[in-house]
Amino acid sequence: MIKHDSDTIAAIHRELHSHLPSEPALRAKALESLLVEKGMVDPAAVDAWIDAYAEDIGPKNGARIIARCWIEPDFKQRMLDDAAEAIKELSYEQSYLIAVENTPNVHNLVVCTLCSCYPTALLGMSPNWYKMAAYRSRAVRDPCGVLAEFDVTLDEDVEIRVWDSTAELRYIVIPQRPVGTDGWDETRLASLVTRNAMIGTERDLSARVAEVA
Amino acid sequence: MDGIHDLGGRQGFGEIDVDEPEEQFHEPWEARVRSIVNAMSGPPDWNLDWFRHCRELIEPSDYLSRPYFDQWVQSHCAMLVNSGIATVKELASGKSAAPVSSMPAPMSAAEVKNTRLGAKHYDREIAAAPAYAVGNSVRAKGHGISGHTRLPAYVRGHAGRIARHHGAHVFPDANALGEKRFEHLYTVKFEASELWAEAQGQREMVYLNLWESYLEPL
Repeated sequence: MIKHDSDTIAAIHRELHSHLPSEPALRAKALESLLVEKGMVDPAAVDAWIDAYAEDIGPKNGARIIARCWIEPDFKQRMLDDAAEAIKELSYEQSYLIAVENTPNVHNLVVCTLCSCYPTALLGMSPNWYKMAAYRSRAVRDPCGVLAEFDVTLDEDVEIRVWDSTAELRYIVIPQRPVGTDGWDETRLASLVTRNAMIGTERDLSARVAEVA
Repeated sequence: MDGIHDLGGRQGFGEIDVDEPEEQFHEPWEARVRSIVNAMSGPPDWNLDWFRHCRELIEPSDYLSRPYFDQWVQSHCAMLVNSGIATVKELASGKSAAPVSSMPAPMSAAEVKNTRLGAKHYDREIAAAPAYAVGNSVRAKGHGISGHTRLPAYVRGHAGRIARHHGAHVFPDANALGEKRFEHLYTVKFEASELWAEAQGQREMVYLNLWESYLEPL
């Protein structure tokens, strides 16, 4: 049974701090060994997850969704209306997904100020900077400054919408389709879409057109 | 709680590591920890909000300095000790001194393929009608809450507008205490100029997902 008491947990943290091995990798190893001995983890399942992260789970999934939005305006509209439902058409699943669209006059930026909420099923692991204090503290207060660090500058008439993921809703930014990509197929378009563009820390993908072409 | 985790608007944390290599995991142990947490079994009274609260309670200096997945290790260790499943000594050595009883079986390798990340549901229909409609003006409550909460300090006492209603979702403050209660959830739009003195005249909006009891009518 959980003892629901914040002070108890804080005291346990202090005790762990003094007694666990000194290196993160060793702490992780000790936890895994113990859980395996106690029958709470099957190492084969751990290996299977590691394989899944290496092969299936990653930003390429989100990129495919964005490419479909660019090719099929009706699909994009379904994403904006109910993204969690729309992505099922491509066999993805992310409950409470919200798609927000960049336009010439709007730029969207996603953050989780309280922890690290992120649409992992579609974008894979979030970058460390997404989980660290510098980004989490500043994205809601100085989004222009944050974007400038990512070399994104916005025209003065562009409205910035910052989405703080304080509940189980998850956000994906639909970036603008770069010019010079007429007639491109879904795979080629998807190769233009970066992880950061789907978080909102990249805006203009047109420089990538030459790279991919 | 007014903890170190509630970072929105805090200042002085310096530059963002924008040159971080773009890879799923930077260290093999990080992939392992993430995968252990996906695959491990746990007692039925553990939930996401309890985990979040346990992470919020990591010593502030550790919270700011330790690698993210190391904090997952630390939080799960604390949960195991708190629930009487492991001792600090066992976690330090990696050696079990006593078996655990009545724990659900862990995930098998075969089950991994059929597990969809992100497919969990947290909403439920409730009898109570939503108190607010899209367009209503609201004010986020001004006081903090000592336990787990998802009302960040930076919006407390500030006025916003209901942008969207999402039905009723499990209420984090109660869920972290083991009580499943559902409340209407809204996306609330705040103008940056309402939140920050230096944002006057700027075209910036901040949207948060806030539960009904975090709000009062304006």
